[in-house]
Amino acid sequence: MEMSCNSVVGGNFEEVCPEKVIRFKPPLYKQRYQFVRDLVDRHEPKKVADLGCGDTKLLKLLKIYPCIQLLVGVDINEEKLHSNGHHLSPYLGEFVKPRDLDLTVTLYHGSVVERDSRLLGFDLITCIELIEHLNSDDLARFPEVVFGYLSPSMIVISTPNAEFNPLFPTVTLRDADHKFEWSRMEFQTWASRVANCYNYCVEFTGVGTPPAGSEHVGYCTQIGVFRKNSGKLAEPFVSQQHDQHVYKAVYTTSYPSLQQEKVLKFVLVGELLIQVERLRLKHQRMLRDQEKELDPKPSDTDFSQASHLLLGEAFTEAEKARIENSPQPFCEGEKFCIPLRRLLAYPKLHRLCVAEERMRSLIADSVCLSNDGSAVVVDLHNSWDYWPEDN
Amino acid sequence: MSGRARVRARGGACGHGAREAGCAPGHLTATSASPGDSQASSRSSSISQPHEVAVSSDDGGRTFMERGTARQDFVDLSVCTREKLAHVKDCKAGSSGIPLRLVANLFSLDLPQDWQLHQYHVTYSPDLASRRLRIALLYNHSRLLDMAKTFDGTTLFLSEKLDQKVTELTSETQRGETIRMTVTLTGELSSSSPVCIQFLNVVFRKIFKKLRMYQIGRNFYKPSEPVEIPQYKLTLWPGFTVSVSHFESRLLLNADVSYKVLRNETVLEFMTDLCLRTGTSHFTEMCQKQLVGLIVLTRYNNKTYRIDDIDWSVKPTHVFQKRDGSEVTYMDYYKQQYNITLSDLNQPVLVSLLKRKRKDNAEPQMVHLIPELCFLTGLSSQAIADFHLMKAVAEETRLSPVGRQQQLARLVDDIQRNQVARFELETWGLHFGRQISLTGRVVPSEKLLLQDYTCLPASAADWSKDMRTCKVLSSQPLNRWLVICCARAENLIEALLSCLRRVAGPMGFNVGYPKIIKVDDRPAAFLRAIQLHVNPDVQLVMCILPSNQKNYYDSIKKYLSSDCPVPSQCVLTRTLNKQGMMMNVATKIAMQMTCKLGGELWAVEIPLKSLMVVGIDICRDALNKDVVVVGFVASINCRVTRWFSRCVLQRTAADIADCLKVCLTGALNKWYKHNHDLPSRIIIYRDGVGNGQLKTVLEYEVPQLLSSVSECGPGTSSSRLSVVVVRKRCLLRFFSETGHTVQNPPPGTVVDSEATRAEWYDFYLVSQTANRGTVSPTHYNVIYDDNGLKPDHMQRLTFKLCHLYYNWPGLISVPAPCQYAHKLTFLVAQSIHKEPSLELASNLFYL
Repeated sequence: MEMSCNSVVGGNFEEVCPEKVIRFKPPLYKQRYQFVRDLVDRHEPKKVADLGCGDTKLLKLLKIYPCIQLLVGVDINEEKLHSNGHHLSPYLGEFVKPRDLDLTVTLYHGSVVERDSRLLGFDLITCIELIEHLNSDDLARFPEVVFGYLSPSMIVISTPNAEFNPLFPTVTLRDADHKFEWSRMEFQTWASRVANCYNYCVEFTGVGTPPAGSEHVGYCTQIGVFRKNSGKLAEPFVSQQHDQHVYKAVYTTSYPSLQQEKVLKFVLVGELLIQVERLRLKHQRMLRDQEKELDPKPSDTDFSQASHLLLGEAFTEAEKARIENSPQPFCEGEKFCIPLRRLLAYPKLHRLCVAEERMRSLIADSVCLSNDGSAVVVDLHNSWDYWPEDN
Repeated sequence: MSGRARVRARGGACGHGAREAGCAPGHLTATSASPGDSQASSRSSSISQPHEVAVSSDDGGRTFMERGTARQDFVDLSVCTREKLAHVKDCKAGSSGIPLRLVANLFSLDLPQDWQLHQYHVTYSPDLASRRLRIALLYNHSRLLDMAKTFDGTTLFLSEKLDQKVTELTSETQRGETIRMTVTLTGELSSSSPVCIQFLNVVFRKIFKKLRMYQIGRNFYKPSEPVEIPQYKLTLWPGFTVSVSHFESRLLLNADVSYKVLRNETVLEFMTDLCLRTGTSHFTEMCQKQLVGLIVLTRYNNKTYRIDDIDWSVKPTHVFQKRDGSEVTYMDYYKQQYNITLSDLNQPVLVSLLKRKRKDNAEPQMVHLIPELCFLTGLSSQAIADFHLMKAVAEETRLSPVGRQQQLARLVDDIQRNQVARFELETWGLHFGRQISLTGRVVPSEKLLLQDYTCLPASAADWSKDMRTCKVLSSQPLNRWLVICCARAENLIEALLSCLRRVAGPMGFNVGYPKIIKVDDRPAAFLRAIQLHVNPDVQLVMCILPSNQKNYYDSIKKYLSSDCPVPSQCVLTRTLNKQGMMMNVATKIAMQMTCKLGGELWAVEIPLKSLMVVGIDICRDALNKDVVVVGFVASINCRVTRWFSRCVLQRTAADIADCLKVCLTGALNKWYKHNHDLPSRIIIYRDGVGNGQLKTVLEYEVPQLLSSVSECGPGTSSSRLSVVVVRKRCLLRFFSETGHTVQNPPPGTVVDSEATRAEWYDFYLVSQTANRGTVSPTHYNVIYDDNGLKPDHMQRLTFKLCHLYYNWPGLISVPAPCQYAHKLTFLVAQSIHKEPSLELASNLFYL
């Protein structure tokens, strides 16, 4: 029984027969992803969609960006979305050190030439190695849907540069599913026309530098970056066509973030307790050092030596000033009190941007507060304190 | 120490170890890809119900196909001991007692009768090196598109059989190259074959992933529903431990609730605090001590690692070589790869040695981890010793039978309602869901025999009340003894002594007035006083300690157990200060002292007249992990009330005993001295057998015991031997159904069907009670049996032995000799670190 089937291993052919091909370093697909990552770094989009997301590799790379709050992948291969969905779920560590902002990741099964209102209003839509898989009908409908209907602020389209192909042995098209591969001229003509039609401007670039001596063929992958012209007159069709749900949501996940009260509380209490413990230990050490100074015995040169062992984050001048200007911790008998305002001055708590009042209510059932509620109160000594020196 | 030293040596040899090949941040070593792709292999510690802290050291998470070796507990299942035991070949079930309807945490997993798993071998022409590409080509082939399949790049499993034994498929790569794939049938596996069992575990692993659970070790957790214990900086992730295997008659899924303990601090934060506590002079040493062996979870992937070393010479600003040969600093790497900015550039790196997934490479791979990006998991030994912390954890994790049942029901419901999970099961033809009910038996309660009184205790959980006015079986009068106490506790002594005499009198235990020595608070002062005043004439030394700091106890026990063997009794000042508790405390102390002097408290009826029972336990020395402590405790009279003990320290890699012949011979000689004959039967309860060690116990330990027996009593006069492997930490739970609710089964409940294993002569016994939480049955596996006792008798004898632990007036979860052996090894491993003197061998000095 003989059957044939197309490989769908995107951009990996360098690995298939390494001796025959030009090797890119890093691999070409990684360069394409890096190109998108650089764009995200520069423009900090909130909502990003990847059309033709395939095995969701790009989405996996993008989920680490703090600016992105909605990440969507669309593909016509439902099986692939099913089997790769869980790669996009939060890492276990993200439940311990959550993101600042919410993030929802959703995978939709559907075609890029169908309109789905859930993809409206995006800041960035990427179509990496997508258009060359579209047949002529779909290619004709593509601009109307992506540029005209979805109309995001920015669109990135990458596609093979056919002029580069002669450098590869024995290929006409790079993938059996490719319906066409364009020269730079062909791509740029198409792209400029589309940009013009939907009021975008476009810049051309690429990744995959040709080898020395073949510079004239251009990048292996050509890329068009489209940006919507500002001051556009009307939002076309959008308002009357809301809630057009043709895609099937295959997978969706929400990340824990500081925007969620429960998570904020967890992080706040956690950071606070760490800070309280540190201050308490520092205070104890200070007391012990004072005792030692009274003692005529030769003191060990404890903290002066071994500076390479000093751990903990270093504060900036501004942070130091903020800490010093806040009320000091103090002792009341065996109790050690740290004013909330002091705690809030430390960078790790400061960055949570919680006002004193809110902080009080969030921590009230987890820590012991002073009578007036202005300070956290702990025992100066506890049963664990002396263990390390006993051994 | 050698392991750690080796790492350091290697790291040091190359200047700044970071450049060493293969020495890269963890995630770079990630191997497996889909299908059935796996999480980190890990050694994780988790809390299993109700309050014991279980450290499972398995390396779950890898697909079996990748490793080519079976999971440790599956190895045990291939040790078929029952077939050699003629008397239980046909039936291993007992009959006495009252039948009791039970449900277990087992769920049916039904397969069609003729169900088979089809195993294929796949080759590629031309050969492809990339596993990912091999998988992608096969998975996307139209011929296999709609079939249930699992493939690791070489071995393919299909639920349906292909038409031909050898199928040729072709695919084209993107480069247009034609690849020929040859799929050859290599096996048709029935549902009971080991490969198939492992395969099914992989299927469930996939299902749990679909349910948004995360695999850590062998368990699955839901971090999205955390339980917080803020005051101790702990988070608990609820989850399940699950496994599919073949039980007595069929395939079942075993599921139990489990919690993952996570400490809400990074390793860096832990180190910073530690530095403040210890000062820099001992800091690196303390870090090593506190951190090595702990399991960390990294922030940027879902993996867990064991800390094997700390490399202080490497900083985040140092460069390492990536797999592609380029060099990058750790700092830049994490920024580029994960958008993480390190806040502390002075931190060292943690070193973790990865266990090799593939057999060929002997050298373990080393991974550097950044402390700031590692979260601590599990409880530290400090934490475990903290009563209040453990109580807080237990409050959250201890589930009543009803609560546990609800969690299990929810899990089953989740699986059945999840479309993808259901689809996964259906494609393989699996029917999952019904909880298993079975019939257990409650064996009769035991009467307690005292000196001139026999009673059936009102509560088998605690018979201290029944004993209050009774004389114990035998006791030595205590006339020459010392009390050493710190000056602060002086006022407590008279009260303690008067209470002691008040409670000891009715017990029949005569307590004379001691010599009292007052010392100051330092540990050294106690030891000095002991050295000064203890002579061979002294029967017992009591120390009243100012605090429970380990060094008081350790130094005293070390000196009095081995250098100068005299029974000793340590009491904390705090215990004596408890209001209104003095009588209770005195009763407990009086009983312990009676035993330490060689007395006997109570007995139960033992129908076998010449029976020696033995308990063996093994653990690692706390200071030197290369040393294994073997505790051996044997009864030396027919009433099973007097005990002989040996404790041997041996250097071995595995937790397997080398010294059993010497121990048993010693015990038999002692028995002979007391009874002028050898015991006709010996039953040995072996505790502390790790997963996968059953075979070694059978092939290496049993012969040692047998050779001792045959040398001591040659020919027909030799004793008959049985060896029972005792496992306290099993995942099985039984609930008794009453009306619409469930509760713990009563003590004496025996299960010897359904939940047991066909290849073993085994049974479960619930011998203890649990006031709160769910009771955990103990598993008994009779691996060797010359005695040929009926299962009924074996079960009842085991239950009787659970009554004989003199440190607790009630039933316990294991036979008394096991608990004695455990106490002995614990004392030696934690405090003494050398073999106790043989002069104490006939006393329960380790209570």
